[in-house]
Amino acid sequence: MKSMASSPPDQLFGLRNSFYVGAYQAAITSSQSLPAHDLSPDDLLERDALLYRSYLAIGSHQLVVNEIGPSAATPLQAVKLLAVYLSGDAANKESVVSRLQELLGDPAVGSNTILRLVAGTVFMHERDYAEALKHTSSGGTMELLALNVQIYLHMNRADHAEKQLRVMQQLDEDHTLTQLANAWVDLAMGGSKIQEAHLIFQDLSDKYPTTCMILNGKALCSIHMGNFQEAEALLLESLNKDAKDAETLANLTVCSLNLGKPATRYLNELKLSHPDHMLVKRMSSAEDLFDRACQAMA
Amino acid sequence: MLTKFETKSNRVKGLCFHPRRPWILASLHSGVIQMWDYRVGTLIDRFDEHEGPVRGVHFHATQPLFVSGGDDYKIKVWNHKTHRCLFTLHGHLDYIRHNHYVMSASFHPKEDMVVSASLDQTVRVWDIGALRKKSVSPADDLLRLTQMNTDLFGGVDSVVKYVLEGHDRGVNWASFHPTLPLIISGADDRQVKLWRMNDTKAWEVDTLRGHMNNVSCVMFHAKQDIIVSNSEDKSIRIWDATKRTSIQTFRREHDRFWILAAHPEMNLLAAGPVSPVLRILHPEGSSSGSNKKTWIIPKDSAGRADYLQEAKKGAGGWAVFVARNRFAVLEKSSNQVLVKNLKNEIVKKSPLPIATDAIYYAGTGSLLCKAEDRVAIFDLQQRLVLGELQTPAVKYVIWSSDMETVALLSKHAVVIASKKLVHRCTLHETIRVKSGAWDENGVFIYTTLNHMKYCLPNGDSGIVKTLDVPVYITRVVGNGIFCLDRDGKNKLITVDASEYIFKLALLRKRYDHVMSMIKNSQMCGQAVISYLQQKGFPEVALHFVKDEKTRFNLALESGNIQIAVASAKEIDDKDHWYKLGIEALRQGNVGIVEYAYQRTKNFERLTFLYLITGYLDKVGFMSKIAAQNSNLMGQFHNALYLGDAGKRVEILENAGQLPLAYVTAVTHGLTEIAERIDAELGENVPSLPERKTHTLLIPPAPLMACGDWPLLRVMRGIFEGGLDVTGRAELEEDDEAAAADWGDEDLDMVDASEVMAYGGDGFDIEHAEPNEEDGEDGGWDLEDLELPPETETPKAAASARSIAFVAPTLGMPVSQIWTQKSSLAGEHAAAGNFDTAMRLLSRQLGIKNFAPLKPLFLDLHMGSHTYLCAFAAAPVISVAVEKGWSESASPNVRGPPALVFSFSQMEDILKAAYKATMGGKFPEALRQFLNILHAIPLIVVDSRRKSMK
Repeated sequence: MKSMASSPPDQLFGLRNSFYVGAYQAAITSSQSLPAHDLSPDDLLERDALLYRSYLAIGSHQLVVNEIGPSAATPLQAVKLLAVYLSGDAANKESVVSRLQELLGDPAVGSNTILRLVAGTVFMHERDYAEALKHTSSGGTMELLALNVQIYLHMNRADHAEKQLRVMQQLDEDHTLTQLANAWVDLAMGGSKIQEAHLIFQDLSDKYPTTCMILNGKALCSIHMGNFQEAEALLLESLNKDAKDAETLANLTVCSLNLGKPATRYLNELKLSHPDHMLVKRMSSAEDLFDRACQAMA
Repeated sequence: MLTKFETKSNRVKGLCFHPRRPWILASLHSGVIQMWDYRVGTLIDRFDEHEGPVRGVHFHATQPLFVSGGDDYKIKVWNHKTHRCLFTLHGHLDYIRHNHYVMSASFHPKEDMVVSASLDQTVRVWDIGALRKKSVSPADDLLRLTQMNTDLFGGVDSVVKYVLEGHDRGVNWASFHPTLPLIISGADDRQVKLWRMNDTKAWEVDTLRGHMNNVSCVMFHAKQDIIVSNSEDKSIRIWDATKRTSIQTFRREHDRFWILAAHPEMNLLAAGPVSPVLRILHPEGSSSGSNKKTWIIPKDSAGRADYLQEAKKGAGGWAVFVARNRFAVLEKSSNQVLVKNLKNEIVKKSPLPIATDAIYYAGTGSLLCKAEDRVAIFDLQQRLVLGELQTPAVKYVIWSSDMETVALLSKHAVVIASKKLVHRCTLHETIRVKSGAWDENGVFIYTTLNHMKYCLPNGDSGIVKTLDVPVYITRVVGNGIFCLDRDGKNKLITVDASEYIFKLALLRKRYDHVMSMIKNSQMCGQAVISYLQQKGFPEVALHFVKDEKTRFNLALESGNIQIAVASAKEIDDKDHWYKLGIEALRQGNVGIVEYAYQRTKNFERLTFLYLITGYLDKVGFMSKIAAQNSNLMGQFHNALYLGDAGKRVEILENAGQLPLAYVTAVTHGLTEIAERIDAELGENVPSLPERKTHTLLIPPAPLMACGDWPLLRVMRGIFEGGLDVTGRAELEEDDEAAAADWGDEDLDMVDASEVMAYGGDGFDIEHAEPNEEDGEDGGWDLEDLELPPETETPKAAASARSIAFVAPTLGMPVSQIWTQKSSLAGEHAAAGNFDTAMRLLSRQLGIKNFAPLKPLFLDLHMGSHTYLCAFAAAPVISVAVEKGWSESASPNVRGPPALVFSFSQMEDILKAAYKATMGGKFPEALRQFLNILHAIPLIVVDSRRKSMK
């Protein structure tokens, strides 16, 4: 429980929540409506970081790279590095990683939470989970804790993810990130937990305008409960919101397959608009694997 | 709800509701019996014949009678219509004990009996039927009762049917059961006794013990199988009438209730305290209609949270769920709200922004706080007031189903506000507002004491129907209104919703709906017409009206000249033609103007119209008409208009105005005529003014004779053009807005580029600085090297987390678990382990060529995982899909993978294949069969049904 005393109103509350539930365009708009003179310097930085992260989320990598100048504060530099990493080729990625290491080693800025968050994210992409956890495991913000949950889930360590979730619940059980992290863990654990995840996504959709992220969350729960029809409806609704949303396309592919419906169009669309998506990569490596196995059998 | 009637008298001793009318009898310590209308709160009548306090009063169930019993040992039967005491029963005379006041007296609901209780420790049942038998008609009966009184009541014993003895102290109350031959009595011996009677005798059945002091009043409930008693121990007890056990006790520390009354039809109970105030309790708060809930819990009592499971109770003024697993409890003393989880543990505490006396739900995580004069929406998570609104004391809060709009009901007002409490409208009622609910279209339906009304989003309201008895709306579905009556019974009232649906459609500009409603229903009526006129929709009203005058007026108002002409023809009077002419002129419809003028024979206007429209020939024609009518002035005007001087002279001459004719002729150089007139005038030739420059009055020649002027654009009725027009208007607005946006953006861009330019400069400078700093950093580094012990610490601190923290080892992916657990090729393929899958198939079925199975393998694998996006930039999490999920499945125990091919699918394909074979489409069938053959090895079958195939 946080302090009982009433704290000054949290100006960034709406912005943050919009970002968390995937309402990126709303986050961008609302961050612009927050007057700079009303915010403390820290809040201002957080606002900008959220703004640029929202741009990243809608795929405007180059905009972020262009807009963040070399003199911007560390958190923004970190976001810029993330943008370069996400948009860049292998060589760029390497340079980003080394620049990150450099910053993290700098005692003056190394402990900055957004820098660490970016580091955790980048090392997750690098599949270097130990390195990611090195920077994120000490926590400090709800976001870092939520990232930890994700890293553990990537490591297939739902037990650790659950422990991390308990920490979040102790800090603020009603926080949107706590709710989301709870749903992630529930989905990964499966079984009766799926229902709880479903309730959480239901709550979020009652509370916030529906986003692709929430619809996907609900659809995932339906899929895992075996209600493919219901999932398909949710995913199509999500597709209406954003025809190029990667997860929507990926999950629609999966859902259609399970319904015995043709899935090729969704898959092709995904391949075109998100060639780096996990599903695409996984399938191309699976094809190689099949061919090799086939040869081995012959 | 509690209504107080202040009476000037002292203590209230007895109470009784009228069975049908909104009346209540109150007997007072002063000996007066008062009759009140509790709906309006006024005193209707008073009966003052008893000497000393009157204890019991009771209305007759069917006749305009009531009975009263007092300290003067008398039982009186009254007719409240005639305001007369019909007769007096002298009973309870006991010459040994001197204390024998009549404490209560009441009628039997159906039979001609009265039961009375007295301090002589007896309960007496009186037969008044003997009086009735002798009368012919009921009306006469009542009158004759008085006369018979003397005959029959000479001997007291002749009418006393039974005397019930058993109480050890004075009996305070006795009453009949509404349907069964039972009597209940309460006495100063603290006991409640139940008696049974038949035609010949009456006997004691049981005794209810439990009250700690004198029982002052007891009765059977009219509808429920319960007995209600109250006592000087300050409690009201509810007893089960069949089991004769105490069900519930209500205790009020500061109010000692003396008397009770239950309304026979409605769900009301009255309790008269010793203090000189009469209170009526409406059990409105409860709606379930179960026994316990017929009692209202005083609103200020603790324990509102008792809807929780038995074990989890807590004190609190109000409790309300704010999320699926959170509820908020109001702590009034500290003006705080406690948010608790389902285990009843406090999760959060938050002080409230206003002095709150009630809280309501306001969307997930928000509360609507109600204070005396305002309400506020409070976000529990941000501890922020999202909206505030001044309102009269709110009683009920009703949210629309989409949580966008809220209705706040107070005693005499309905306030509609948005979810941020932005005021939309307020409706004031002169009588009390009772309940309300939203229909699915966003119309608020509410009830007052005697009306059901609607309120549209713009604040327009009206009556849906009149109510005989108050009802409490619970839900509105289409034109069905679900509500509770005062007995707590569910009712469905069907109403005619077309009026408000129609108005709503108008308001929302859904003209297609409006149109279809006009076509399909009989939406006529002056109210609708005037509403439409008032709201600026005369053209819509036009569709309703049959009356030509109204039609004409509406047509003029909406500018529909065609309909106006048609109506004017029907009406055909001067006034309407005149009005039509004006409107047609306004619109520039010359043809209609002409027509209107012709119809009214308004030649002057008509001529002028011809003149200004350039139809000079018609002006000429008009002058002929004027000549026919021997209208000189008209003729002259026309001649003037036409510039025909000769004609004018002629007219003047004919009119005998020779001097004028002469002057005109001279002026216009018509010398011949001038000379002729000169001759006629002789001496009297007028002298022409000299030294002036003359201009002749010659009208300009018209350039063209035109038909209609450019017509004013008139909405042709919203049904044809309306949609387009509004659509276009919106578009235009959008364009403007867009343009404005663009403008702004342009400015922004300029600003931005300026900033960029400046910023660029700045960057350069700053760029240099970091370099310098870097240099300094380098210096620090050097120093660090030189001073290892000191630098160790920050580094250690910085890297402490990385050193202390040991990342856990990677866990096992679910797909791996699948392959370990399973020996089924399909499941291996789903897990992505194609080589093991192939090896299994080769071993089990001897398959050698796997190439045709490639798409199947890939689909199986692809369908086995879903993708969860957690953080925007973070890689997605893939989640394994398992087969056969059930609610009770324990988490973290892995089931087999969900496979995209199922046996039932195969059956379908098989059927299709058979069909294709039948139809002779062999290639198609072959393909299908191959599909099946390919898929079969990968299908996992629970039963052995596959082998049967």
